[in-house]
Amino acid sequence: MFKNYLLIALRNLKRNRIYSLINICGLAIGLAVFIFAAILTQYEKSHDIFFENAARIYTLGSVLSPQANYSVKEFDGVYTAIAPLLEAEATDIEATARIVQDEYLLTLGERGFYQKIKFADKALLKIFDFEYLAGDTSALDDPLGIALTETIAKKYFPAGNAMGKVISLNFHSKIDLRVTAVIRDIPRNSHFISSLIKDNPLEVIASLNALKQMDEFKLEGNWDNITTGDLTYVLLPSHLDGQWLEQQANDVFQRHASDDVKKFISGVKSRRLQDMNLVLWDAVGLPIITVVMGLGLMVLIIAGLNYTNLATAQAMDRAKEVGLRKTLGAKIGQLLIQFLVESVMITFIALLVALAMLEIIIPVFNDRFGKILSLDYFSLLPPLVIITFLIGLIAGAYPAYVITRVKPVDALKESLSKGLKRSLVRSAMIGAQFVFSVFLLAMVAVVTIQNEKIMKSSEIFPKSQIVTLQKTWVGDIPTRHDTLKREITALSGVENMTFSSQVPFIQQNWTFDASKNSGDIAGKVNLNRIMVEYDFLKTYDIPLIAGRDFSQEFANDMEKKESTVLNVIINETALKKLGFKSLHDALNKSFYQIFRDNEDGKKSRAYVIVGVMKDQNFLGLHNSIKPIVLRVHSQYYETASIRIKGKEFSATMREIERIWKKINPDYPIQVEYLDDIFNHMFKIYKSINIALAGFTVMALTLAFIGLFGLAAFMAAGRTKEIGIRKVMGAKTHQIVTLLIWQFSLPVLLALQVALPLSYFASDAYLNFFADRIESPIVMITGSGLVAVILSWLIVLTHAIRVSSRKPIHALRYE
Amino acid sequence: MLKLNNLCKVYQTEEVETTALDNINIDIEKGEFVAIMGPSGCGKSTLLNIIGMLDSPTSGEYHFLGDEIAHANEKQLANIRKKNIGFIFQSFNLIEELTVFENVELALLYNDVPSKERKERVTRVLDKVGIAHRAKHMPSQLSGGQQQRVAVARALVAEPAMILADEPTGNLDRAQGEEVMDMLKKLNEEGSTIIMVTHSPSHADYARRTINLFDGQVVTEMYRAAE
Repeated sequence: MFKNYLLIALRNLKRNRIYSLINICGLAIGLAVFIFAAILTQYEKSHDIFFENAARIYTLGSVLSPQANYSVKEFDGVYTAIAPLLEAEATDIEATARIVQDEYLLTLGERGFYQKIKFADKALLKIFDFEYLAGDTSALDDPLGIALTETIAKKYFPAGNAMGKVISLNFHSKIDLRVTAVIRDIPRNSHFISSLIKDNPLEVIASLNALKQMDEFKLEGNWDNITTGDLTYVLLPSHLDGQWLEQQANDVFQRHASDDVKKFISGVKSRRLQDMNLVLWDAVGLPIITVVMGLGLMVLIIAGLNYTNLATAQAMDRAKEVGLRKTLGAKIGQLLIQFLVESVMITFIALLVALAMLEIIIPVFNDRFGKILSLDYFSLLPPLVIITFLIGLIAGAYPAYVITRVKPVDALKESLSKGLKRSLVRSAMIGAQFVFSVFLLAMVAVVTIQNEKIMKSSEIFPKSQIVTLQKTWVGDIPTRHDTLKREITALSGVENMTFSSQVPFIQQNWTFDASKNSGDIAGKVNLNRIMVEYDFLKTYDIPLIAGRDFSQEFANDMEKKESTVLNVIINETALKKLGFKSLHDALNKSFYQIFRDNEDGKKSRAYVIVGVMKDQNFLGLHNSIKPIVLRVHSQYYETASIRIKGKEFSATMREIERIWKKINPDYPIQVEYLDDIFNHMFKIYKSINIALAGFTVMALTLAFIGLFGLAAFMAAGRTKEIGIRKVMGAKTHQIVTLLIWQFSLPVLLALQVALPLSYFASDAYLNFFADRIESPIVMITGSGLVAVILSWLIVLTHAIRVSSRKPIHALRYE
Repeated sequence: MLKLNNLCKVYQTEEVETTALDNINIDIEKGEFVAIMGPSGCGKSTLLNIIGMLDSPTSGEYHFLGDEIAHANEKQLANIRKKNIGFIFQSFNLIEELTVFENVELALLYNDVPSKERKERVTRVLDKVGIAHRAKHMPSQLSGGQQQRVAVARALVAEPAMILADEPTGNLDRAQGEEVMDMLKKLNEEGSTIIMVTHSPSHADYARRTINLFDGQVVTEMYRAAE
């Protein structure tokens, strides 16, 4: 009996090749997308598990207080002061280790490299069992010892044997570091490598003691700043968990943090090591894993509905077979089993196709995105087989039920009941597919337009003309800033050049407190400061709306450590925030710094507003416009911005490099284009868009494949009616209208659900952006319209074919 | 009314060529009642379909009301068809989703008759075939004879010059069959041209003229004197 079922199933597949193909492809696409989403989320959730202590390692993060008014909800790290306090007060903790990372110039004889270094407490090597190719966990016991990864060791010491070699770190003075360990490269699925926030893979580990010797760090840590990427790790004994740790860490925080700190940070949060690589998404409040899984599931449901719908339509053709089997004594149960066997068989064929697709897609994806996803059949197959089996049962249940209900006499006569042709259930299934498709399409449209907006508003700065030179504060470079600027600006291809502490799109907020009236602590406001040089406004095309630009003619324009009166330029937001009523009211007036506990020299300082610049979004992207105060301060010239004019871009760049080499022969030039700086942050939004677009293309393809197949079946089901109408004199366009209307109803109803849904979802997404699209309604209705028109076109192709045939084809009944 | 000259219809599949109609020459005048008879597969229905412009001949000429239409396209045919021809089928071919009234109305709907006039004419014709009391029923609620009466009403409502009936009594019992035949006869007496395909010699007797087909050819033609 079972063999007979399989045989019939196979023959049916062969007989209806087109529909079988549509069925299997649709289901395969759905399964492939779902499996991919599952593998991806599993991969992202299982980072770092290869460390022996993974389950016992936690990191501490900071939750921002609501009044901090910051663009993110939390930081991935905590103040460096917390770890030593925690270790002293919560004695059950096995170990803590902090990492402070920064980029320094390393020299080996003649060669120099800018290298990102992770300075760590030596316990880091106890917490993480790195694989040692040379040396051991005592590598950081020597304050000047460093551990290199295999790749970096090969880069610095191509001849081999890095152990014991000396590398100089150039800071104010040279410090000689000694290689005490070489570790194997960290696998890609570790937060040490794949963090989205900063491109700083773990390559060199040094001791925090070295940083202390450089006077850049105190071992007891500080309560001054939290730097993204500087993490605090805690190793717990196996009987304690993250909740306990969070409690302990919060107790320490509450006992030791000052009120000012508590105003900014409301508490400490513990996070499992496994969750660390997703910390960025936590920070922006986007549950990316849930979203990806949700989208994958959505596509699978669409594929399932699609399959059910087509299978039901196809089952109508089988009415005669069912009737015959019933006449020959088949029981309903037996028929149900037959159809379910068929359905399950098709889903398994689809599974095979899906796995074949993934075998192709995953290597491409890995290559493109630097991940190491894999199809691990051993662990994947059992759940997949179960899921596929269930899909086969669920998706096949409805068509099986419908077809086996047919009365044998009706089935044999092939005059199918009305219910089979136009069922509510099937219209509802088309509707559901469209709800998902329109929703996804609308979201893509909204994300795309919002990205466009970010992109466009970034163009207030002459982004593509600006080249930045980084690390202009290193070593004795600052003593030659003037020479550098003089020679570079003399180049014919250079329009302007300026130094500054920060360039647009760098996500940094350096702030200070000030108030309109001297000493008015209650009325203090938080202002962003950017340290600049004289030509800053000109280089960046920032328009002044009142007052004057900075000039060397005014001594008070240049800030010195002891300045008590300083001329500044502020933006409109700062002006309002400080409480000035108008430009006129503010110009040449002063406001006063309120010094924080940690700011040395608690003296008074007045800032005189000599210019007001137009509000521009200096941080760009999702940020709101910050109150900005520009101050000329040569100690903070960390970056040089050069504006290049004309078409001789590369020639000018070569000249700039030549000048740099001549003036700063000991330091490699660090060029970064402003465009790239912007794109580095922008790629996060872009990748959201790409991912969403990928899912949408899949969903829409499925929905339209389904509609295409269904339209064919429905038109076939109405062949006779169409024939009669034609004999009665109906014109082609009247028949086409009739058929299109049949599909329009579920599609239009679907819009009623999809449009409001998209509205709320996109509104929630847009709220993340300070400078958001006013209303997503145009994009959403546009998406609805696109879906409707596309579905009409698909139905139209069938309708025209059917209705332009000679009526006799439709009426032949013998 | 219509004139067929050397009309042929050939069906071609990959392997075989079947000649359904072979050199048919027929002349039908206005007001005639013609029965087409013959065994199964002799080409009766094919001939009727071509006369009804539901299908096109492979070769030969077809003059309808003086125009040569054997090679007209589907759009032109549809236009002539809806103005001049009413159809009655063996299997009634009513649309199951529409009521009796709506089924009959369909023919007028596609002839752009205004709504008020449509209503009057449908009511009148339903009355004429004696099915007015069932106007709001669905076809599936009617007996075969009643359904065929609806089909007759539909064929009549546009007041066509010619009515084509393809075994109109084939699916009916004897009493119902005779009822329908009486109706057709009456219509003919009122002036309609009727061409009917039938298996039944007794029903063919209602017609004035009988054409016998065999293997796609006209074998005999027989005229009956007026009663």
